[in-house]
Amino acid sequence: MQISNPIKSTHVTCPACGLLCDDISAAKLASGELEITQSDAHRCEKLLKFFKRPSQRSAEVNGKQVSIAEAIAHAAQLIKQHQSPIFSGLSTDLSGFRAAYQLAQRSRAAMVHMNAKSSARNTKVLQSTGWQTTTLTEVKNRADVIVCIGTDVVSHNARFFERAVWTKEAMFTDPSARQIIYLGGEGLDTAQGVSPNGVPPKVLACAPQNLPEVTAALRALIQDKPLKADRVGGIALADLAAVVEQLKSAKYAVLVWIAKDLDFPHAELTIQNITESVVALNHHSRAMGLSLGGSDGDTTVNYAHTWLDGLTLTERDENQHDLVVWVNSFSPDKTMPAYAQPVIAIGHPDTVFASPPAVFIPVATPGLDSAGTLFRVDSSVVLPLKPVYESALPTLAEVLAQMEAQLA
Amino acid sequence: MITLLKNAKVIDPAQGKDGVKEDIYIRDGRIVTKPSDSEKINQIIDLNGKIVMAGAIDMHSHIGGGKVNIARMMLPEYQATRNLTEPEAHICTSSCTHHATPSTTDTGMHYIEMGYTAAFEPAILAINARQAHLEMGDTPMIDKGGYAMLGNDDYFLRLLAGKADQKAINDYVAWTLHATQTIGIKVVNPGGISAFKFNQRRLNLDENNVHYQVTPRQILQSLSRAVNELGIAKPLHVHCNNLGAAGNFQTTLDTMGASDGIPMHLTHIQFHSYGTEGDKKFSSAAAQIAQALNANKHISADVGQILFGQTVTASGDNMMQHLNAKIANPKKSVIMDIECDAGCGVVPFKYRDQNYVNALQWAIGLEIFLSVEDPWRIFLTTDHPNGAPFTSYPHLIRLLMDKSFRNDAFAKLNLDAQAMSNLTSLNREYSLYEIATMTRAAAAKLIGLHDRGHLGIGAAADITVYTEQADKEAMFSKPDYVFKDGELVVKDGKVVKVVWGKTHTTKPAFDIGVEKGLKDYFDQYHTIQLDNFKINNDEIAQDGRNQVVDHFKQSD
Repeated sequence: MQISNPIKSTHVTCPACGLLCDDISAAKLASGELEITQSDAHRCEKLLKFFKRPSQRSAEVNGKQVSIAEAIAHAAQLIKQHQSPIFSGLSTDLSGFRAAYQLAQRSRAAMVHMNAKSSARNTKVLQSTGWQTTTLTEVKNRADVIVCIGTDVVSHNARFFERAVWTKEAMFTDPSARQIIYLGGEGLDTAQGVSPNGVPPKVLACAPQNLPEVTAALRALIQDKPLKADRVGGIALADLAAVVEQLKSAKYAVLVWIAKDLDFPHAELTIQNITESVVALNHHSRAMGLSLGGSDGDTTVNYAHTWLDGLTLTERDENQHDLVVWVNSFSPDKTMPAYAQPVIAIGHPDTVFASPPAVFIPVATPGLDSAGTLFRVDSSVVLPLKPVYESALPTLAEVLAQMEAQLA
Repeated sequence: MITLLKNAKVIDPAQGKDGVKEDIYIRDGRIVTKPSDSEKINQIIDLNGKIVMAGAIDMHSHIGGGKVNIARMMLPEYQATRNLTEPEAHICTSSCTHHATPSTTDTGMHYIEMGYTAAFEPAILAINARQAHLEMGDTPMIDKGGYAMLGNDDYFLRLLAGKADQKAINDYVAWTLHATQTIGIKVVNPGGISAFKFNQRRLNLDENNVHYQVTPRQILQSLSRAVNELGIAKPLHVHCNNLGAAGNFQTTLDTMGASDGIPMHLTHIQFHSYGTEGDKKFSSAAAQIAQALNANKHISADVGQILFGQTVTASGDNMMQHLNAKIANPKKSVIMDIECDAGCGVVPFKYRDQNYVNALQWAIGLEIFLSVEDPWRIFLTTDHPNGAPFTSYPHLIRLLMDKSFRNDAFAKLNLDAQAMSNLTSLNREYSLYEIATMTRAAAAKLIGLHDRGHLGIGAAADITVYTEQADKEAMFSKPDYVFKDGELVVKDGKVVKVVWGKTHTTKPAFDIGVEKGLKDYFDQYHTIQLDNFKINNDEIAQDGRNQVVDHFKQSD
């Protein structure tokens, strides 16, 4: 049992994106709502949305209100009656995932995370060549040249520049003198790339679909391979060569990508161009890659599955399964796909369904009205989540444990 | 509930017992004196003279945390072969490839099936300690614990460069033990992981880190003094500079010299015992290293034996692993800089008996085992998974106990490597008593587990029962019985009951004032709150599993 012990006024940790900002001050208002005091002028909409008080909602069977116990019993029956369930969505924290893994083992169910497609782009590179990467505190204290490739970062991680780039202090570099480069991408918000002194970022624009070509050229130039072209993917080769010079003369260059923003066929090869550029730079100078983004507990679920099972989670064809157990704890905005199979949905009370699932069980949200544990997107850092509201709802782990008990 | 193990042949070096016929009584998880005649014995197992030892303790095995999990993620090919190549009895031969990256469940199961009841993760990055404990928490059957890495973290290096007094260092070290829930302190390539971030590629013992202008020697002396003055049992766990480099034995000898008489443990010393003689400029310096270990009674070491086959190396030493990435097999690797705290390097290796260097590495490890006289100061490890998976321990034990088996294996090695090793001239065969010393009594003493590693009255009833066999690999692969905290958990080499071990820590006193400087540092330079860095007991011990034991209170 997790103890819901809501805070009055303290720092809370925000699970709304992979940065897991834990410098958020929160105070309970008389209305029962939470007042969030952010540390800086930057307003993070995702954060504000996440910390809204969840609504009250009862469990449902075929759209009809039932008690949680009845819903669990019905769900257990469904699991018993089906041959090949799949746990999908899997937006949860560590303890929720541990319970899901155990129940999936017990019911011979497959598992897939809602971000499987974008995660797979990174996993393919990791399993093919590996990579050389860094983490946020290293970026904050060392990075003097930062290249955002195919992404503005802030669409996913709104406070990246505030927390890791334009910081007041850094141990080994002058933060305000950092050089920011955007390489490719679409509809980028580059405003946060402007330094505190007003120095604009360098923007080398190209369409996302040109990034395979552009990153291949970048890698070739870093490796001192001759290229017979004036332009590549709409970018002048001389401009790209100038970026390479910046990278080579950097004390600590960081190449940032977000797998979700590289949404084109064989994006893993573009990621590999980025990571192998880093490998080549590290022959003589220092550089590191940084994969950002991360949401819906994807990093946590992939890591925990790996140590519990020995293998990473992979993409799955949900159509091959006769029952879907849809788990979505963090963001009701991530709507459930339309499934032909019966669905047991477990998640945020504010979840909206196009058509009612066979069973819906509302559960407490880690970091909102229950405790929890999550990995930050850059790995290595794992943070505890505290509840900020009292909740009458059970946790996912409690619900799944009760379901498992009824499978015997 | 009282259990009686009748007619045991006890090998318990902590009590000087070598094959003593005894009855052992177990009550409430502990070994107790013979109960009064009026008390009921609930369970009697007649061992008929079978060998009884305390449960074995692996004092250095990478079982949890970021780099182990990266290895799992990077190498799905290891898992695919699991069911095909892994016979249940774990009969390991030199051609047998064990999967080097077991899941947490497999880790616990494999250990207990071999009669091991505890394993210690030796390289916990302080910032990553929560992950290490989460993984160890999901490892059933055995007790767990870990050593926190210091000496490349910018907070420590700033203290040292700023000439902080020793008390400030001691407080920081003690605070780290508390915050990370660990039982020892490790330093990996002192100063080198930090130096790599400033683009230095090698760091010798008396060479400055370019930014901090401090040397590995200063780092070692500061940390070993802190560990010693705090009064924790486990000496500083040292992974020397120049891992794996030809000629590095001199660094290792100099590191022993830098200890200034303060206890120090040199880990996976095989990887640090290389000379530069011969045509290939790579030779065994096992004799020099063993001689120094024999002479310096305050130094202990574990071997980090390599065995042939596919494995993966996972180290905090990203400086040296970045060099090793060139010889990765299969050709992939992960190198990371992590949180101004440390780093890691994960590089798959395939050790081949026909490769000159690999063959000589194999021989060097065994030369060290056989040349170091005191089994209380040399420990049986493969630096799992770096030299070989821990599942190959029974094979390694046979190599130590059976000279003709060892010499037969040697005869199959690369011929140039054979010419460069004196292994066949070493006639020593380890006794069961010596094996029990290095894998039980000495390991518990080194780490400071007062109630483990022996079978005395009051000890935790972690007990392994073997049938004595001529084939020591077979004997140690499959114990007849294993008891964990008094419960029968393995019978005939198979798990019969799932239990969850304890988490061993040490928590020396310190001045809480240390948090002022830390708070300022975290607020200025880190990306998490200081409070979130610290791990509570409740995060580790959940649902009656993984109870946190503080051994500092129990020390004398």
